[in-house]
Amino acid sequence: MNVDRAFLTELRAIVGDAGVLEDALELLTYECDALPHLRETPAAVALPSSAGEVQAIVRLCARMGVPFVARGHGTGLSGGALPVAGGLVIALARLNRVLDVDIPNQRVTVEPGVTNLDITKQVAPFGYYYAPDPSSQQVCSIGGNVAENSGGAHCLKYGFTVHHVLGVEAVLPNGDLVQLGGSLPDTPGPDLLGLIVGSEGTLAVVTSVTVRILRRPETVQTLLAAFDTIDAGGAVVSDIISAGIIPAAVEMMDSLAIRAAEAAVHPNFPDSDTVLIVELDGPAAEVTALFDIVVQMCRRHGATTIEVAQTDEQRARIWRGRKAAFAAMGRVSPNYYVQDGVVPRTKLPEVLNRIRALEARSGLRIGNVFHAGDGNLHPLICYDERIPGQSDAAVEVAAEILSYCIEAGGSLTGEHGIGADKSQYMPTMFTPEDLALMQRVRAVFDPQGLCNPGKVFPTPRMCGEVPGPYRRHPAEAAGLAERM
Amino acid sequence: MDPVVIQPETAAEVAEALRQASEARTSIVIRGAGTKDGWGRPPSRIDAVLDMRRLNRILAHEHGDMTATIEAGASLREVNAALAIHGQTLPLDPPHGDRATIGGLLATNDSGPLRHRYGTPRDLVIGIQLATTDGVLSKAGGQVVKNVAGYDLSKLVTGSFGSLAAIVSATFKLAPLPAGSKTMRIAVRDEAGLADVVRTMMSSQLEPMAFELATRQSTQNPRNAQNNHDSADSASSALNVVIRFASLPAVVEAQMAQATAGLKACTTSIDVLDGDAERSLWEAHANELWDAPGAIVRASWLPTNIAAALGELGRISLVGRAAIGAGHIRIEGDTAAQAAVIQQLRASTVFGNIVIVRGSSELKAAVDVWGSHGTRQPLFESLKRAFDPHGVLNAGRGPL
Repeated sequence: MNVDRAFLTELRAIVGDAGVLEDALELLTYECDALPHLRETPAAVALPSSAGEVQAIVRLCARMGVPFVARGHGTGLSGGALPVAGGLVIALARLNRVLDVDIPNQRVTVEPGVTNLDITKQVAPFGYYYAPDPSSQQVCSIGGNVAENSGGAHCLKYGFTVHHVLGVEAVLPNGDLVQLGGSLPDTPGPDLLGLIVGSEGTLAVVTSVTVRILRRPETVQTLLAAFDTIDAGGAVVSDIISAGIIPAAVEMMDSLAIRAAEAAVHPNFPDSDTVLIVELDGPAAEVTALFDIVVQMCRRHGATTIEVAQTDEQRARIWRGRKAAFAAMGRVSPNYYVQDGVVPRTKLPEVLNRIRALEARSGLRIGNVFHAGDGNLHPLICYDERIPGQSDAAVEVAAEILSYCIEAGGSLTGEHGIGADKSQYMPTMFTPEDLALMQRVRAVFDPQGLCNPGKVFPTPRMCGEVPGPYRRHPAEAAGLAERM
Repeated sequence: MDPVVIQPETAAEVAEALRQASEARTSIVIRGAGTKDGWGRPPSRIDAVLDMRRLNRILAHEHGDMTATIEAGASLREVNAALAIHGQTLPLDPPHGDRATIGGLLATNDSGPLRHRYGTPRDLVIGIQLATTDGVLSKAGGQVVKNVAGYDLSKLVTGSFGSLAAIVSATFKLAPLPAGSKTMRIAVRDEAGLADVVRTMMSSQLEPMAFELATRQSTQNPRNAQNNHDSADSASSALNVVIRFASLPAVVEAQMAQATAGLKACTTSIDVLDGDAERSLWEAHANELWDAPGAIVRASWLPTNIAAALGELGRISLVGRAAIGAGHIRIEGDTAAQAAVIQQLRASTVFGNIVIVRGSSELKAAVDVWGSHGTRQPLFESLKRAFDPHGVLNAGRGPL
């Protein structure tokens, strides 16, 4: 059912008048996340200030059958926080307390509205940091990171959110408060924590997060190398991996992305076909030895320039150019669409050449920025919405790039999530049986289908979201019959 | 009656065996090499054993991508021998790692000293194929190291102990084999010294491959042992730290030197080992707890609480990951004494997540193997009903 007067009265009793938004102007902020082409107006927004209030709100929704969408700071890129029409948005920005900082044991516990970078700021004076570093880390919330299993430029060596979260406290869609994992490792039984991380807010609403923090590495070295072809840059990446070197980050940008970054933040990148950024970190002896090997590899594959950052400022400038690349596309195109796909790293050259052929064929310029070490592509498709048909053409191009990723044995998304944006493509990566099993898990957590419905799974919905105990879906039964 | 042994050779046969068991309401236990046969609660009736060892192929080793897809019944040792051809490894070294299978490792999330650097199987698995009791084969995750599409069901079966579904195959990210390796064995005087080593290493910028505790205590409370000058008794108590560095040989040397300088103040002796001696040390370390009688439990603790943890209990030996705060404890004595220690560990504010992994049936009758699941219990029950509606999997041995 939709939010109604009776619901709002009870909601106000939980969070007070100041904790409920229903004015059309106030709701505007919550219509979308950072994927603005998908919009929906919620009936109301709740702003709880404690886990207890979150629990009471979810219980109310469960009792009244009102769908709800948890929201952090709205920086998601897949419409994961897209509201449900007539439903409630639970905005967690007021749950922003740091609950515990345990430096000797390298653990920090925070509420979900604390930003990613604020965790690092808490521990930086002691020489520690929180490793996952999505480009939006200054503003994105840790709760959103947990929902999306966020990565970042340094996950090649350090892994994703799931590798750094030790525990969460979460409210299940029926209103039960559960503790999954915690300060101590090895909670017995199935790894429900690992399941919740990356479930895009469809299984629970997280109310506190315990993360591990890492000691700052002794040394960091960064280089920027330019190449005449993307294949030459790709060959360096292959050599690095074959040599058993795991850099902290390996990033590539092509000429359009380089020009855009130059126009926006002037990182002083060489005007070339491809730039490669390689960062090594760790003990000084190791970094020094391996960095020399990487420089030799760049030379051997014909690097036209190699700039080694000599100072922190120089390193920051290189990263500014890389991290600004998305937003910088606005300098070279009126509109752009960021795609997020993954291919096995060895298939990068092949897929990039297909993308360049598509660029020529479609007439739309495509900038390429990618995490080359783990095969995570971020093609930036340029279009002008004022030209009739170009918006649709851009969406088609983006979809075609995803099909290249799947054909190469990759994934629909490396870090932005499926959300509402890509749910229709899930059947290209997963069989009906795969999706039915995931839906079965969803139904265990959310039998009423109220917790962020319409995300991750393609519609029409399968059996998993039907209330009540698990029932075999006709499609699933048909699949079984065929298999036997 | 002895259980029927089913030896599937294909994924479809695994699914079919589960479907038949579910339809006939007969119990079925999934088994790899049997290194963890003694884990879990005492089984109720076992009608069939699903022996996975014929599903033992490496389906793909994409060495350029550092990934491998492996069938559940393959042994870790054979997998790593094959991966080593390209200088790579699946970096797991659990107890009994010479025989353990990939499926068993995932189902129990078992690991060893390499956990310090690489985590447990749940941190390395990137894709999975499962057979469920409705006879269906499904997959989740994928073949690429970075992927957030759909639910990560590989996590759901990690630690499930074969209670939800059968793992048919799994894809892992791999690690490069290091060019050089050395290990330092450090002896410390007392629990406080041990805690000093843990704090010093954790706050340093050194990056060891493994950082282990190995403590063996006499049957007396260690607080009383300080006044005991009997040499045989003091020899039976030992507090050791084992640290391994692995990288380029010159880097190993540099880190060893740095570690030695940093730890000098809190240790009584430091031995450095490489080559065969190093290998023997790690073999002995892996077997340390398991070669002697007694109950063995999994346990976790906050790393810097180690002195308090050891001070709290006599009669235990502990082997574990110093900076993670996880490992195994061996408990001597008769059943009543073992049960008392386990209850003491569970009541302790220092230890947590105590699970019996080796114990007599009398001990398991006296204390529950898994302990309380707290607020997770209702979810466990719902998951079990959804995946195994007729309760045929694993004969009640698992956590759910």
